Amino acid sequence: MRIIIVGAGEVGFHIAKRLAFENKEVVVIDKRTEALKRFADLLDVQIIQGSGSSPSVLEESGIRGADTFLAVTDSDETNLVACLFANAIEPGIVKFARIRDEDYTKHWPGMVQKSLNIHTVINPEVEVVKTIEKSLAVPDAEHVSDFAEGKIKLIGLRIEANSPVVGERLQDLRQKTGELRFIIAAIFRNERLTVPIGKDRIKAGDLVYFVCGAEELNKVLKIFGIRAEPIRRILIVGGGNIGLRLALELETKQYHIRLIEKDRERCEYLAERLSHTVVLHGDGTDQELLEEENIREIDVAISLTGNEEANVLSSLLARGLGAKRTMTRINKFHYIPIIAAIGLGQIVSPRLSAINSIVLHVRKGKVLSTVSLKGEEAEVLEAVALETSGIVERPLKDLHFPRGAIVLAILREQKSIIPDGESIVHPGDRVIILSTRKNIARVEEELMVKLEYF
Amino acid sequence: MRWRYVVRTVGALICCIGLTMIVPLIFAVCYHDGSEPALIKAMLLTIATGACLFALFRGHRISVMSHREGMAIVTLGWIGAGLVGALPFLFAGTCESFADSFFESVSGFSTTGASILTDIEVVPRGILMWRSLTHWLGGMGIIVLSLAILPFLGVGGMQLYKAEVPGPIPDKLRPRIRDTAMVLWKVYVLFSVIETVLLMFGDMDLFDSLCHTFGTMATGGFSTKNASIGHYNSVYIDTVITVFMLIAGVNFSLHYLALRGRPSHMMKDPECRFFIGAVLVFVLISTMSVFNSVYGSLGGSFRYAVFQVVSIVTTTGYATADFERWPALPQCILLFCMFLGASAGSTGGGMKCMRIMLLIKHAYRELLRLIHPRAVAPVKLGRRPVPDDVIKSVWGFFIIYLGLFILSSFLLAAMNVDVVTSFSAVAACIGNIGPGIGTVGPTDNYAHLPMMAKWLLALCMLLGRLEIYTVIVLFVPEFWRK
Repeated sequence: MRIIIVGAGEVGFHIAKRLAFENKEVVVIDKRTEALKRFADLLDVQIIQGSGSSPSVLEESGIRGADTFLAVTDSDETNLVACLFANAIEPGIVKFARIRDEDYTKHWPGMVQKSLNIHTVINPEVEVVKTIEKSLAVPDAEHVSDFAEGKIKLIGLRIEANSPVVGERLQDLRQKTGELRFIIAAIFRNERLTVPIGKDRIKAGDLVYFVCGAEELNKVLKIFGIRAEPIRRILIVGGGNIGLRLALELETKQYHIRLIEKDRERCEYLAERLSHTVVLHGDGTDQELLEEENIREIDVAISLTGNEEANVLSSLLARGLGAKRTMTRINKFHYIPIIAAIGLGQIVSPRLSAINSIVLHVRKGKVLSTVSLKGEEAEVLEAVALETSGIVERPLKDLHFPRGAIVLAILREQKSIIPDGESIVHPGDRVIILSTRKNIARVEEELMVKLEYF
Repeated sequence: MRWRYVVRTVGALICCIGLTMIVPLIFAVCYHDGSEPALIKAMLLTIATGACLFALFRGHRISVMSHREGMAIVTLGWIGAGLVGALPFLFAGTCESFADSFFESVSGFSTTGASILTDIEVVPRGILMWRSLTHWLGGMGIIVLSLAILPFLGVGGMQLYKAEVPGPIPDKLRPRIRDTAMVLWKVYVLFSVIETVLLMFGDMDLFDSLCHTFGTMATGGFSTKNASIGHYNSVYIDTVITVFMLIAGVNFSLHYLALRGRPSHMMKDPECRFFIGAVLVFVLISTMSVFNSVYGSLGGSFRYAVFQVVSIVTTTGYATADFERWPALPQCILLFCMFLGASAGSTGGGMKCMRIMLLIKHAYRELLRLIHPRAVAPVKLGRRPVPDDVIKSVWGFFIIYLGLFILSSFLLAAMNVDVVTSFSAVAACIGNIGPGIGTVGPTDNYAHLPMMAKWLLALCMLLGRLEIYTVIVLFVPEFWRK
């Protein structure tokens, strides 16, 4: 499977990294020699120096016969032109474009899709707002994602020292909870992600990922010692595109929103666009302002300015002043482990959201959605079990899955089933599978249609 | 530097080399030539050594390989190959000392073709097959071969590839390194099969055809006859080998593109044109100067001139004539050819046409800048400008190559080897050619050199095969700093 990526930025790099790890043929095009050097040094991909919107460069990249085309440069126009020529050279290729400007996205169903035949337009800002909204629904979790239209939830929870599950072995935990079904999918401890077995114990400070049906979520959270309190008051720091988009989105629900923005004129514009939100003119790192706005009573402070250092500072400050939770927008990926270390749990990143959204579409087989955990160490896939794939009609314990890959949930006729070793997947079921990064290719193989020997 | 991982990978490489000894063993068994015990012993010892190193550190896996580790694996892998490759010669008694065996083995793997055997025709056929097979394995590269067949090398494959094939401008044929390695080997095997069949039409038996094919395609130069290709005295065989030496001297990426239906790339490639042009000019001058002075007929002059020039410029080292009896001018041309070498990305050695071409172009640009001080004139290859970093790296290569040449020649002279032999032996070894001028000419061999000289020349061959940088950084103290 050959994939052409135009744009050697962060998004391009992380998509290329994931796909190359899964043994796909990846070709990366960019004008900047320096940016390409990073690819050549670290990844097993082919690099081509040139403009991604140039037809001759595209031809050189072997676009004929390629399966997927990703235009993910920082420039919307370059991405659109690249898709235009890609469409002309190889009409069958599946195209994705990263487009931020609303002007394009608003008209996209009529204009962009028809004339350029783009499969999906990915707007990182939209994606990140979606991620934040999901996470607000389960406020104590560090990670929330939905599968099967929200019927199955994957939750990542940081275990506090006073949690009742500390020190429990997983197999004991399962016995205690009895009827209530959930699976602990992965544990992230000391910067390493492991897929646990029954004998493993939960320790304080672990980040535990578990899967359960949406209805049972509150009960499961109780087991972990968390009482779900609904979120009411939200403080957004930074009124840029993402801040505005989020505020607009949240206004439709029952939240009290305050939005802090540094720029006076921007404040006026924001106040014009927003109806219930209180727009404040000031700096998110200004202690007096935060105290004046009664930060102690804020349920979530979300720092979304374009400056990540400022975001980290204002989140730390908000937490110090008594905000119950914080979310911090980060762009640079190598900051992520550092930020977890200083105790700012929830991180949002437009790029990471965009990457997730793109990788989902690139998957082969009948994969419906994918989510990556903790800096891409593992992925959770949702897929349809095909009749001829290797996973159907046998107990899960007999599957040829590599270590580090497990079936977390099965969705059959709109009902979610949390499986055990004896469960059997039927053709047409939707399955949710967790796999560490290096095993993804093997899992995908299992999911694909097997050629039978006739 | 994670030594355990380096050792583990080298162990796997050695294991693979041990497995290839099955080929000469088959021939030894077929011919009952008495070399079976030696080959079996060598094979078992090699596989056991490799497996031990691998098993000892098998748990050590890494996620990202650094450049340093890549270079260490490649250099140590090649030294390891040289060491275990020497075992069959030693056990069969073909060579008297380990130094001789190591020289012969490194000369094989590095596709040099310099030999210390005085009478080749008495050596058992199994051993001769091994000697030629080392050429073939080393020609396309043992790392490239391993990349194609060992899946776990996928981690850091690019680092290893760059360390073994460090051409001035890296090209990757397929997006994945493993596919690239596979493609190169397929092209290599295809040409080898064709040549073997063609040679068999020329009244060579399978054994000799295979050995000479290995020597040609890898631009090695080991023959199974004392008089090299001259033994056959056949225009047909000369022609076939000349053509395949030329093929082996061209960048294999171009062959791949040509086989995929795009032969125009070969015509347009500036390096290929430079290479073929240089060969034509040298052949023309050599033919003119040996005509009448050595050979009576123009046809004969052309036949011998073309074979010797192509053999030396592609760094093969086969001979059909004793060029030491030629006039000074063609000898001088051949000496220059030893430095020039074949194309980058081919199996040939030397400095590579690409580098010489870039240096000439750069020198011309400097002259142009004297005339037009404000000219913006990038060095271009075809239509693409070459980054200045590449030019700098090529100059660095040039200086180090010459420096090593001079240093090694001094060392040889210090061992009481005569001047002409010192210079030409080093040139022939560092350029992976084989025969030089003086007492190591096409009709002589390296047996008479002192023991220390053999170790030194073996090192030169390795330096030349891995294009200097990869080996020499291991001698830079900074490399070992933690």
